[in-house]
Amino acid sequence: MTKLIKYSFLIFACFIEAKPFESTYEPLPSENILIRNANIYDGEGNEFKETDLLIQERKIVAIGKDLPVGNEFLIIDASNKWVTPGIIDIHSHMGVYPAPGVSTSSDGNEATSPVTADVWAEHSIWVQDPQYALALKGGITAFHILPGSANLIGGRGVTVKNLQRNTINSMKFPDAPHSLKMACGENPKRVYGNRQQAPSTRMGNAAGYRKSWIQAQAYLSRLDEYEAKSDEAKEIGYAPQRDLEMDTLAGVLRGEILVHNHCYRAEEMATMINIANEFNYKITAFHHGVEAYKIADLLAENNICGALWADWWGFKHEAYDMVQANIAIVDQALGGKGCAIVHSDDAIGIQHLNQEASKALAAGLRAGFDISKARAMNWITSNPAKAAGIYDQTGSLKVGKNADVVIWSKNPFSVYALVERVFIDGATAYNRENNFQPASDFDVGIISPEKNRTEE
Amino acid sequence: MISQSKKVLFLFFIFFNGIINSESILIQNVTIYDGKNNNPFVGNVLVDGNKISRVSTSNLRGDKVIDATGKILTPGIISTDTDIGIVEIGALSVTRDDSSDLYKIGFSIYDAFNPNSVLIPWNRSNGITSTLTLPQNTDSPIGGLGSFFVLDSNLEITGIKDNVMIGRVGGSGGESRSETFSIMEDLLEFASSIDSKDIESYQDAADLIDDSPIAETMELHPRDLKALYRLINDDLPLIIKANRASDLLKLINIKEKYDLNLIIIGAQEAGLVANKIAESDIPLIINPINNIPESFDELAANIELAGNLERIGITLMFNAPRSHNYHLIRQGAGVAVANGMSYEGALKAITLSPVEIFNLGNRGQIAQGNIADLIIWDADPLEPSSMPEKVFINGKDIDLTSRMSRLTDRYTKNKDKPNGYRN
Repeated sequence: MTKLIKYSFLIFACFIEAKPFESTYEPLPSENILIRNANIYDGEGNEFKETDLLIQERKIVAIGKDLPVGNEFLIIDASNKWVTPGIIDIHSHMGVYPAPGVSTSSDGNEATSPVTADVWAEHSIWVQDPQYALALKGGITAFHILPGSANLIGGRGVTVKNLQRNTINSMKFPDAPHSLKMACGENPKRVYGNRQQAPSTRMGNAAGYRKSWIQAQAYLSRLDEYEAKSDEAKEIGYAPQRDLEMDTLAGVLRGEILVHNHCYRAEEMATMINIANEFNYKITAFHHGVEAYKIADLLAENNICGALWADWWGFKHEAYDMVQANIAIVDQALGGKGCAIVHSDDAIGIQHLNQEASKALAAGLRAGFDISKARAMNWITSNPAKAAGIYDQTGSLKVGKNADVVIWSKNPFSVYALVERVFIDGATAYNRENNFQPASDFDVGIISPEKNRTEE
Repeated sequence: MISQSKKVLFLFFIFFNGIINSESILIQNVTIYDGKNNNPFVGNVLVDGNKISRVSTSNLRGDKVIDATGKILTPGIISTDTDIGIVEIGALSVTRDDSSDLYKIGFSIYDAFNPNSVLIPWNRSNGITSTLTLPQNTDSPIGGLGSFFVLDSNLEITGIKDNVMIGRVGGSGGESRSETFSIMEDLLEFASSIDSKDIESYQDAADLIDDSPIAETMELHPRDLKALYRLINDDLPLIIKANRASDLLKLINIKEKYDLNLIIIGAQEAGLVANKIAESDIPLIINPINNIPESFDELAANIELAGNLERIGITLMFNAPRSHNYHLIRQGAGVAVANGMSYEGALKAITLSPVEIFNLGNRGQIAQGNIADLIIWDADPLEPSSMPEKVFINGKDIDLTSRMSRLTDRYTKNKDKPNGYRN
């Protein structure tokens, strides 16, 4: 009996202390690099002309004019070129909805129950998705993979480095928090309503979230109660039984898991903020938010980011009220206190987030806002890094951060700008000049045996 | 008294309107990209009525002068492959008029077109002046008729009814593509055998269906036979969706055998058989930004496709799959240029080429005598950040207000009023 108790305690201790599925990421071989004479958007809202960027031991060590370096540095002349932080997409389904889009690897929606907080996107990811390498050529160095939006609570999302490897753990961004995908509106009510089960209405959606949070609160209080006990008391009592679904929800209530909420309509976002307040959790970002501009101040007051498209609309009724200035309006809320993110949700869009930001910026300027390109660059770098919980490590060219850096042939707000080189942790991951690029196993010999998929 | 003053006002309106219509417009000192592969030049364009009456580098006179110094003038952009006017909201079936269960070949979307769709002012304010609107594929590998529409928002439609037929072949999850090709050929054989007399009366056409195994099996209707007849005898453009290299070769073979006016859409693997496509002179509609191997038919998808095909001499047009934003063919064209296509070629793909391939009348090029569908751009039209400053359709200066611009104003101006009481 005592043994059993001890055993169950051990399991429980593992559950709260050890982290399963921990990142085993190892960076590529790196060099110490001086990028010389570049035009730089630093991801912190600044633009520096003809400036040097120094990378040493995988970190950004200096930005400045005429930085002196020794012989051991690789010097890259970036005259007339542009340098930005690695681009980050806060909404991707690469890996869980890989290409080709076939049913056998369509693994993004566990649409068998409206609440599936127990599932983790990382357990669906196909590491050989050929789309990662395409995104890399668009400057993407990290991205956040979410479950789909069929469910009210769809499961955990994961942030990964854009380096294709043979295990998911070796792609996981070290120390990045998990996220929780939640979804409002048409999708859950359509999926379950069509099966004559709850939710079939928006009020059914709201009831569904609240029921889950009530359960999570009870679970958490049992957990807190147990954890407050002395070691002796723990040994003689039973640990509360572990519940995968509640693990995730309790993680949100403890502030360890970040809520990413698919939600289009303004009033539904406001309702979700009410629910978050009722149960004392924080919403990190609303995703898609086609109507975010209608409640931009409310989002800013609650420190919630809007992860938005530049111009997608019309595919659903809740996506009908699109304005192209949406991102700019969210950004400029409360005199510039808003958090705007340009997201893709799309394997083509992720390759051109710079162009999406350019459209959103142009629309903002036409709507009368005064927004610099340097600030708009934050929409695809530091702001998504913050929303993914990795801003301390990446997302801007701050001294001390990981050297996740992109060199562009032209100003990245131009459609003609091509990515010339991508560094992840100071290591070259893509180089246009010598055609250095990854190919997934899927790409190998699939059209012509002696070539990779896109080789001429 | 009141009614009389109304009458006066009405007469005045007609009179005044008449003056506006007869007033010529001179677009002065503008950089002209004429749409026909030519180098740009700075010149003047005179619009008289609905036509371009002069294009010249020397000074012209007009009743109304628009100084467009430093601006760019292009023909109105033509989006091929859209559902503008027949789908308002994708996921809302009551707003969709793009499919038919009954008619497989002669299904026409023309009468469903809604000139008041909110997509029209939006796409127009982004530079699209006309569209080739296509239905969804039917159950037949060839069938379904698309129409050309001018986006002038007139309730009386300006356009060309049923000017293209569509079709598709490829991995479907259902029948083998070999069966699809067989059905296609059977239908074409049957179509070749139709005499105009056979389909004059409904009953004659119905009898013909009874006598034809393929027509009977496919449960065709007289309406379908008329469309098949037009395909063979009227040189009706046939837009087949196909991607895999082997499918493209087979389609070339079918085109030659039945002397079809074939256009292929999708064509993700065209790079593997580009010389054959060029030899057979088949124009392609591709989405130059789409490099995703979305299916096993599209494994060779490549961002450099447009440039590669242009160099081999294939005529290209562009489409954009993203719901509702058909103006994004501009962004696709820009991406094509960034990845190796010529600028003039990319612009031609979204202006003159659709006109030449689909016979859309005298438009698509800035040339004397052509219909004045014109855009004055604030900057390079292939930069997606650029927007039209002025759009002319049929010579008329179009108001660029859209539902989107109204909503933007609602939430950026007059914010002191409750939102329901704003403009």
